[in-house]
Order: sequence, then structure tokens, then C-alpha cells
Amino acid sequence: MAIITLPYRYLESLVGTDKKTIISRLPMIGSDIERIEEDHADVEFFPDRPDLFSVEGVARAMRGFLGIETGLPDYKVSPPETTFSIDPGLAAIRPYLGSAVIRDLHFDEESITSLMGLQEALHWAVGRGRSKVAIGVHDMDKVKGPFHYIAAPRDRSFIPLDYDKEMTMEEILAEHPKGKAYAHIVQDFARFPLIVDDEDRVLSFPPIINGELTRVTEETRNILLDTTGTDPKAVKIAVAIICTALAENGARIEGVTIEGSTWPDLGPTERNVSASECNRLLGLTLPPTGIAGLLEKMRFSAVAGEGDTIRVGVPCYRADIMHDWDIFEDAAIAYGYENFDARISSTFAIGKENPVQAVMGAIRELVSGLGYLEVLPFTLTNERTLYTRMRRPMQECALKILHPISEDHTLVRTSILPLLLETLQANRHRELPQRIFAVGDVIEGMHTIQKLACVSTHPGADFSEAYATADALCRELSLSYKAVGSHDGAFIEGRRGDIVCKEKISGVFGEIHPAVLNAFELEHPVAAVELDLTAVPGYPATPGSP
Amino acid sequence: MAELTQNEKKLLAALEPLKTAGPDTLSQVLGTREDAVIQHAYLLADRGLAEVMRSTEVSYRLTGEGIEYGEKGLPERQLYQSFGDSIPLADLSKNPLSRIGIGQMRRKGWVTIKDGIVTKTGTAAESDEEHALCDPSSGGRGVKDLVKRGLLVEEETVSIRIRITPEGTAMVRAGLDLTEETGTLTRDQIISGAWKDLTLRRYDVEKLPKRVYPGKIHPYQRLIDHMRHVLLEMGFTEIQGSIVQSAFWNFDALFQPQDHPAREMQDTFYLSEKIPVPGGYERVRDMHLFGGETTSTGWGGAWSQEKAEQCVLRTHTTSLSIQHLACNPEPPVKAFCISRVYRREAIDPTHLPEFEQLEGIVMDEGVSFRHLLGYLKEFYGRMGFDDVRFRPAYFPYTEPSVEPEVYVDGLGWVEMGGAGIFREEVTAPWGIHHPVLAWGLGVSRMAMLRLGLKDLRLLYRSDIEWIRETPTWIPEHRGRR
Repeated sequence: MAIITLPYRYLESLVGTDKKTIISRLPMIGSDIERIEEDHADVEFFPDRPDLFSVEGVARAMRGFLGIETGLPDYKVSPPETTFSIDPGLAAIRPYLGSAVIRDLHFDEESITSLMGLQEALHWAVGRGRSKVAIGVHDMDKVKGPFHYIAAPRDRSFIPLDYDKEMTMEEILAEHPKGKAYAHIVQDFARFPLIVDDEDRVLSFPPIINGELTRVTEETRNILLDTTGTDPKAVKIAVAIICTALAENGARIEGVTIEGSTWPDLGPTERNVSASECNRLLGLTLPPTGIAGLLEKMRFSAVAGEGDTIRVGVPCYRADIMHDWDIFEDAAIAYGYENFDARISSTFAIGKENPVQAVMGAIRELVSGLGYLEVLPFTLTNERTLYTRMRRPMQECALKILHPISEDHTLVRTSILPLLLETLQANRHRELPQRIFAVGDVIEGMHTIQKLACVSTHPGADFSEAYATADALCRELSLSYKAVGSHDGAFIEGRRGDIVCKEKISGVFGEIHPAVLNAFELEHPVAAVELDLTAVPGYPATPGSP
Repeated sequence: MAELTQNEKKLLAALEPLKTAGPDTLSQVLGTREDAVIQHAYLLADRGLAEVMRSTEVSYRLTGEGIEYGEKGLPERQLYQSFGDSIPLADLSKNPLSRIGIGQMRRKGWVTIKDGIVTKTGTAAESDEEHALCDPSSGGRGVKDLVKRGLLVEEETVSIRIRITPEGTAMVRAGLDLTEETGTLTRDQIISGAWKDLTLRRYDVEKLPKRVYPGKIHPYQRLIDHMRHVLLEMGFTEIQGSIVQSAFWNFDALFQPQDHPAREMQDTFYLSEKIPVPGGYERVRDMHLFGGETTSTGWGGAWSQEKAEQCVLRTHTTSLSIQHLACNPEPPVKAFCISRVYRREAIDPTHLPEFEQLEGIVMDEGVSFRHLLGYLKEFYGRMGFDDVRFRPAYFPYTEPSVEPEVYVDGLGWVEMGGAGIFREEVTAPWGIHHPVLAWGLGVSRMAMLRLGLKDLRLLYRSDIEWIRETPTWIPEHRGRR
């Protein structure tokens, strides 16, 4: 999400009404008001609306939404007087280029801040951190066209922005802050992208940094815009958003010829949509002219033609219109979400509990009936807790997370018992007896299954208690089993048993080994049971598999 | 004032004629142990019916050595009497008592020693110590010296006297019922009918009982079960699935582009395993590349099968919903899921790497955006939020999208989850021809509101004390219509 600063004075002058009205209606266009200050508001807009990342863009949208100026904004582009060539050597490096000339600029502090902010927000939202598109603005009066977008040798040097001496492009990548941040985008190429003018003066090293020569200040009257990137759509939309934002504040857009094509193209994209499909999707019954009126408020051009069709013109700065339904959402926003007659559908279906949840629910009742408190430990754990402290060997099937957030969360649990002992450890100063249980997901290979574990600790906790508990559980769940001596290292030898159902070990019970108790800082004996729920009658045949 | 126990009454009755007595006397009269008498005396004292007076007495006891010297005389006396007027020191030293005796005689001035001759000075009157030896209770310096010499031991005895107060006397004069009371009934007493002749001891209901803690289901789980019931009552089927998902189902099938920031290592837990793409994956690929057969333009760019085959810990329950729909493309479908999801987030009071998420979907012929708003109102209403409002939102896999807000006393309007209609790019590859209404919310956040918690971690790092003390919450059943 991008947070945009909207200074009230500038906003009011662009919209044409008072700030109170604007701010109160702003959330209903799709935004979150972060902060209200004395002279400005900080507002967050969604990443699919980069056209709103500037005061000018917001003002344009609000004029439509408030009914002050509706329909497609018209942006004139004067005939081109500049050309831009593209070096074929860039095809494998950073092939796409967009450009425009913007004249008659009168910057003040607010509008220049708005432009810089817009560039950065576009880099984030559309450029994916400058790789898909990077934007450069240049004081055109400092250089002379035609301009050339070339693949240059890595040791070519120029004075980068904010510096006073020449550096080679290699050096810039190594030493300049922007160089270090974005080096990964270009550093493996044999040659680097560079924009120069007709006298071979450097305008910029995209996507890294502009030259100090063409720095834009409040005095700048004419700008050359360049957008370069690996995604043609991103390059095009960046040009459209910047040009139209500057045009909103009174600047004149002039064309640039790039390899024979005229840039920018600020005309609308045509789409024909169905009024009935719009009504169906939204649950409305508007006539086509009604829908067209709503779309005009959202700055589309919309003409209800013959029958069901509406001819829609999508403004050049809208990055998010991919499908007809994207247009219908705008109609819904213009209609006002608060105006919909919200009612559930008459869809009839009979509710059904998931069988795994049914088994888990029955077990919760059962174990709490034995006097145990339920706890809900994490499923993410680590080797030390799952194996080392438990005197259990590492399992190959344990799923390891590639980039864990901490050493404590590197594995998904295969057993719940260690997590319960951790819980007892955290509660060792609480009153005894303590009886706790947990039932939930564990991983077995790639599969997700469920287990139950319960532990009881007090001075008299022993093997008999563990066995009696395990037996009671199996009996209540109609689980016929055989108890055989266990080899589970977490338990005391001679005081542990495996629960075997149909030749498979489905659980274990016994008295926890004192070395394990020491490892968890526990001071009293612990009687424990763990049971694999897949053995329980009622558990569905196919476990949850990916 | 609560009634006196039987033991208190008996003690009071025994004390009244005596006025004041020691525990030894009373224990004999009552036929109980002295410490029991003292315990009951204190209970009476709490009620102002008696007074317990403690006094400490110092007494002296002769040690074994002291007793011996008491009979034979102190060593210096015995030594003094063993010779005439004078004796050579060397000879006197042969006497075993000389070691102590010579020094004591000199100290008391009974003898002088000069040029190796011990000479009596005159009379040797009875010393303080000898006086004390005969009668240790006489006190005085002699006693202290004997204690120093290890012949006498000082002892403290606490003696207790119990005295009845005027209130106690008045109560006895008024009359006490001293019939024998029974505590726990025995089997014989019950079946023989003997109980009819027994007086049962009464218990004081104003004294708080021992705290007993029942086994219980976790309060957060109760909230989750309540939400499950609400949805089951609305006719939804519960779905469940694997923690491990392929990027295909978790992202690609939901039309999240492969370069979307949420798919990066920073935000999602990746595993080294791979799961092959399912049959029909080409339709999803085409959707990304050019929008398939819909009116969509798609994302363009490239689509990598390898990226889709990476495995992640599911980041939302939506990956389960789309798989359910792919297996059930015919209407109607009403399904929900409340499950744990995983996000790569640093742990702080409102963020955890794993938490519960709820998802509900409705797919049917003719369902629309206004029905979605209707389901949201209905669902949040049943969760106890009567005031719900809606704002435009954005999610990569829904269009239109909406953000419901609920009104919470003390907090104002709070964002509670997100909702929308699944994009056609998501549903078309699986032959789903009707709109899918979908909504989701973070259950843990709602639990924090309901359970009054400020820290999300308390739900999962269980404090047994908190679970014990949190009462069983029964949801209000709200009547509608």
C-alpha cells in the first residue's frame, strides 16, 4: 500500500471544493485515511490504483466522484519535436523505452514533492522495485536532442545526481547508495543501459541514477521524461500516469518519436461491456444509461449504445482494468456501497460438519471430561524441542522451512507431546496438579494428519495413570488396541507402552524420562499419552493431502 | 456470628467454673490433647469469649556435672578441704581437681601461692556460686557464673493460661447445647437408620470453599466452535485440507502474478519440496499470460511451471476454497473453513507466523454483489456485531472487492476481514460458470476483541492460570425476524 500526502490547500485548488467534503468522501472511493494533520492528510491507496499516488491524480478522481467534472479527461499531445533512438544491443538487457516532453511547468514546493513522491510510488507499485520500469525526469533545457538509449561500456563515466565528481558506472554500482540498492537489476550484463543526448552528455543510467546535469528543480520549465524497463505495459502506464498528473496542474504535453512511433499515447482504450452483465454481477437493475452515468463519475467515457452494449473509454492512466468486471466494480463504487440492498441469496444447502473436525470435537469433550485443560500450541517448532530435548532421533520426513524467521521456528511439528512439555515448562510456577491436552495438525511427510497429546504432572504422576488414561481414551473411542513395550526414548524404559492398532503403532503412553524432564526444567513426574487420530473409527479414509 | 463448633462449646463449658486454667488442666478435664485445647482456645479468643495469655518463664537446670558438684561440692571447695594450712603446689597439682580448683581458689581469694607453696588465707566463706548451686532459682551473680562454667542451663518455658471473659460466662449461663455432633455419615449410620438420632455438624456457608478447576475446552477454541456453528446453521459445509500447498494452488490458481510481492521469501514460508502441477494447469497458465477465453488481458509477461511447483505453508484458506470449487463446479456450493495459515512475520503483540483464518464461499446461479453484502451483514450480525458498513477494497483474486467494518464500543469502526467476488480468471479454468462470493477474516483478531486480550501471543502460549480463570463463554443467541 502506498501512503500519499495530500496538502489541503493544493488539493482544494485542484478539486474545486472544501477539504472537509473531500476527506469525508475519500474512503468511499477506496482508501484508508492514516493521519489527519493541520495542513495535510496522509492517505493510503491500494496498489492497483497507481494513478492515485499523487495529489493531482486524487483530485482528478474526486472531481468525478463528487460530480464536479465527470467523463473522460482529455489530454492533448502536441506534435513531436524530439526523437529517441533505441540501441538494439539493449534487447537482452532492458529493451523497452517510453518518453514524453512536458512543457510550461511552474513548480512550487508542493507540486515538485508530489512529482518525486509519484515516481517513488510508481517504482514500488508498478516497477516492482524498478526492475519492471524505472522513471527518470530531466531538465530538458540542459541538454539537446535527439536522444539515444544505448548499451554502454561499464567503465563509461559521468557525474551522478547529488555528487560533484565523475564516476564510472561500475563505481556507481559499488559506491552510490542507489547503485548498491539496485545493482542486482543490471550487474550481470556486459554493457549497461545509458541515456545520452546528441552531444553524448549523460542524462541517466537507468534504472540506477540520473546525472547531476539534468537535475529537476523548482526553476525547471521543460521536462524530458524517460521510462525504461522489462515490461512494456509497465513502461507505458508509467508514462501515462506521470504525463497526465503534470497536465492536471497546467503543463503541456509534447510528443516524442521513438523508433518511428509517437509517444505518449494518452488516448483511451475502448471496451464494449454488457449492461445486463453488470446488473447481474452487482445485483442491480439499472438502465444502460444509468450505468453509463455511474462510469462517467469514475472518469470513464461511457455511451449507452444500441440495446445492451455500453461503449466505454478507459483512461490511459488506469493500470487495473484487465477484465470487464474491473469496470463493473467502478460502477459499484460510484453507486455507493452503502446504497446496495444487502440481502443473502436464497441458495439452499444443508450444513455439514467435516468428519475430521467431528472426531476432534468428540475428543475435546472426552479429554476435558477426564479433567484436562485444552491448550493451543504452535505448529512451528525446532529440532531441539522436537528431538534433542525429547531424546528422540531426528526424522528425515520432518519438513524444513527454507527461510525461517527465527531459530525457534524451523520445522513443522510431527508430534504434539514436545509442545505440551514446553507449555508445562512455561507454567512450572503455577499450582499443581496440572493436566493439559492439545489436539491438532501435525505433518507426516507432506501429509497433514491430526494427533492428540495429553500430559499430567503432580507428585504422584506415574505409569499407571498414563496407562489408565490411554486405556480410557481408546475404550471411549471404540479403538481396539494392543499395548506392547515401547522404544520411545522420551519415556522411561520399563514404564512405556506403544498403542498398536491393526499392526501399526498408533500411539504411546508412559512416564516421561527424567532426562527429558531436566531438559524442560520440570521438577515433578509427568504421565503422558499421544495418539494418532487417523486410527480412530470415524476418521475419514483419505487424509488431507496436497 | 456463626455458630460455635462442638469443641469450642465444650471448652467454654469446662472453662467457666475454673475461670482461668492452664491447657494441662483443661486437657485432662476434656480428655483431649493440650495442643487441641490451645487451638480451640484461640478460636474462642477470636470471638471474644476467652482470653489466651502467654507468659515466658526462665528456669534453670543443673547439668550432669552440676549435679555431681552439688553433691560433692565444687572442685575448689573439695580441693580446699583436701589439705591443711598449706601445701606445696607440686603436691597439690597431683589432685585431679587442681586444674580447675587452684584457679578458682586464687580467684576467690581463698589461697595465695608464693614460692611454690599454696597457703590458705583464712576462712573460705560460702561463695555465691555455692549458694546458687543449692538453690538455682535464687538468681543473682552466682547463677550467671554457674551458667558460664557449664554447670547450669537456662531454659525458657512458655506457659499459657486461658481465662474466660464476661461474654463467655454469659454465653455459658445462657445455656450451651453440648450434644455430640457427627461429621461424615458412615454407610452403617445411613442404612441402619441410626442417622435419625444423630446431630449433624453444621458448616459455615460464609467461609469460601476450596477452588476446584474443571477440565475445559480452550476459550479461543470455544469461539472458533461458535463460528463453525453459525456457518453450519446457515447451511455451509465445512472443508479441511493440507498445511502444505503448491504455489500453484496457493497463488497461481488465485490469479496472483508470479512476481507479486506476497510470493517472495520475505512474506511466505517456502519448503524445499515440490509438487507437480495438476491436470488442467495449462488453463491457469493461459489465464496469466493472456486471459484465456475471458475478456481479461491477463498479466502478460512469462509464466514458469517451476515456480508453480514450489511448496509453501498455506498463506490463506483461499487455497482450500479454490480446490473445493475445482472438485465441485456445479451449483450450489456453500462452504467454509476455519484453519491455521502461515505468514512470514516477526512475532509482536499483534502479529504471529501462524494464526486462524476463516473463509466462506457461496457459488450459485444468480448470486451477486448485493448478496455478498447480505451474507456479510448476516454473518457479522450472528457474531454479535449489529452495525456493519462497507468500503471498497482491493484483493488480487476478487473483483469487486469490499472491506467490512464493524462498530465496537470503545474502539469505533474496526476493519474486520475482506470479501469479494472471485475474478473470472480464477473460476473459469475449472468450468465454474457462476459467481463465487467469498469472504474471510483473521479469527485471532476477533478473539482478541471478544476475550479482551491485548496480546495475540496469549492465545497460543497458554498461561494455565488464564485458562483456569476464564469462564466458559456461552454465546448470546440473537433472535432475528
